[in-house]
Amino acid sequence: MAQQIDSAREIPSGDVPKKPLGKTGVQVSAMGLGGYHLGSAETDQAANEIVAKAYDHGVRFFDNAWEYHDGLSEERLGKALRGKRDGAFVMTKVCTHGRDKKIAMRMLEESLRRLQTDHLDLWQIHEVIYQNDPDLIFAPGAAADALLAAKQQGKVRFVGFTGHKDPAIHLRMLAHGFPFDTVQMPLNCCDATFRSFETQVLPDANRRGLGVLGMKSLGGSGELVKHGAVTPEQGLRYAMSLPVATTISGVDTMEVLNQNLKIAVNFQPLASAEMQALREQCRFLASDGRLELFKMTTKYDGKVGREQHHFPTTQELPI
Amino acid sequence: MPDTSSGTILQRKFGRSDSKISALGFGGHHLGEAPDEKTAVQIVHEAIDGGITFYDNCWEYRRGKTEVWMGAGLKGRRDRVFLMTKTCPHGRDGSLALQMLDESLRRLQTDHLDLWQVHGMAFDNDPDLFIRKNGAAEALEKAKRDGKVRFVGFTGHQNPNVHLAMLKTGFPFDAVQMPLNPFDANFPLSFEKQVLPELNKRGIAVLGMKPLSGHGDAIKHGVITAEESLRYAMSLPVTTTITGIDSLEVLRQNLRIAQKFKPMTAEEMDELRERCKPDAADGRYELYKLSLKFDNPEARLAHGFPLDTQQIEVKDMLGATENTGHPFPEKQIQ
Repeated sequence: MAQQIDSAREIPSGDVPKKPLGKTGVQVSAMGLGGYHLGSAETDQAANEIVAKAYDHGVRFFDNAWEYHDGLSEERLGKALRGKRDGAFVMTKVCTHGRDKKIAMRMLEESLRRLQTDHLDLWQIHEVIYQNDPDLIFAPGAAADALLAAKQQGKVRFVGFTGHKDPAIHLRMLAHGFPFDTVQMPLNCCDATFRSFETQVLPDANRRGLGVLGMKSLGGSGELVKHGAVTPEQGLRYAMSLPVATTISGVDTMEVLNQNLKIAVNFQPLASAEMQALREQCRFLASDGRLELFKMTTKYDGKVGREQHHFPTTQELPI
Repeated sequence: MPDTSSGTILQRKFGRSDSKISALGFGGHHLGEAPDEKTAVQIVHEAIDGGITFYDNCWEYRRGKTEVWMGAGLKGRRDRVFLMTKTCPHGRDGSLALQMLDESLRRLQTDHLDLWQVHGMAFDNDPDLFIRKNGAAEALEKAKRDGKVRFVGFTGHQNPNVHLAMLKTGFPFDAVQMPLNPFDANFPLSFEKQVLPELNKRGIAVLGMKPLSGHGDAIKHGVITAEESLRYAMSLPVTTTITGIDSLEVLRQNLRIAQKFKPMTAEEMDELRERCKPDAADGRYELYKLSLKFDNPEARLAHGFPLDTQQIEVKDMLGATENTGHPFPEKQIQ
């Protein structure tokens, strides 16, 4: 995501607008700060400054996951949100990857400690990307039961799941009829052409009244921009203009944050003709998945999930 | 240990044609792992004497080394085999596919192929790129018309839906190649369930591959034996099952199974599928469907995907490995 931007241009005064989170009755900022990249920021101090500046401009949705950088991402967010917790909407994810409720609840306690809070606003099942994940998650005494228990205990307000691989897996998750409040998925200008979450899952999620969290608006690591499919502004504005609650964007430098804030502050959605033009512009590069490696390869599949599913490590199977 | 050096293997009809091929096929890719050309030639000779008549290869395997070695092995024996190789335009023009054909014929030291296939239909847009004007479909037609190839087909190991889309182009394929093993049947993307019945219905010759599910990890982990896995694949309604052969030892092991082969009963096949089910559900033994692990550099480059620099083919391409034996590519066949 580290793209060249014109730092001289000011971020407009005003805030990132808020949007309803499905039928929860809660509003969240239309842009969310991705937690993974907080762990990639050079120092704790840099991460702190990113969170503080984002917060000041109205970014109030904060994403994270138990497994990001072995806990560093959660720790950094916890520190950075000291004194700001009540103004923030904090989400993190549980990483059982098929294991049971007990492990999930242990991860929850660990996440709460690292995040220095007594509750989460949203707790999601992370990385539902293997074809048998829905079966494992809904097995008796597994992750779905943990979501219910955590909600009942008041440790989390809302629950959901995430995944970046296959719309069919998301649809199988939704078909269980479990009371998810949110669902997270990749949404970008290429997706509409290729194994599409936008055309296959988004309408279903909207119909069910779920809060939709978009991610990978530029391909996960800026692939859409690097290959010339879109500018960062086109890519982000497209994703934010879809019927979603928020678009989560990873930020590891102040430059990227400034670029994002210039787009997100006072954001106005694109017209549908502009959206269509962007889909057309990306159609050829989108058609084989080359810019959405998270769908086509194992490149974006995390370590813990690979271990639990007996897949080779990232070193052994990099793509 | 029974002597496998001369024998016969069940022959099956090749699609709607009158040709017959052995129910076990010789996979060309692994031939490149033989220590040198002399050994490779010896392996091919013994395979022919042992009853294997179907020989698989591909323009892009090991930068041509496997075609060159197989060509050397088939010298003087060409008429005893049914020879297939593949072309690798990966979406690019038919003229490129034809250039590759001429190179393959030179390397294989023959004036014609029995079967020429478009290699590695992996990506969702491959069918469109294949059938487009100036695409590879035109090359297949021309090669057939010119008498350089008798039959044509396509291969792929990623996604059954891509295979189905290829069939939907309406192109008259004689053969289709795909992975078939006891794990495939239990994975949501199943060639056995989705594609095999369609090919049988159309009378297209089915070439099974990856009978040991790729690199044989399931066998190493004790889920299944090599013999069970190979017999399962050969018992499906296919014409042949292609398996990689890189040594005389592996060849003899395969010949032993193939020469005495009797198809499994439906119950035996059910039992095996059931046993593999728990390990099949997430694709852990079918990584070729989920990563680019088995896709050659040529395919990745043509489609703009990143290369895996640890992969042997990429190392070969970048000259980072030292081939022992035959000094390819310095010694090009005329």
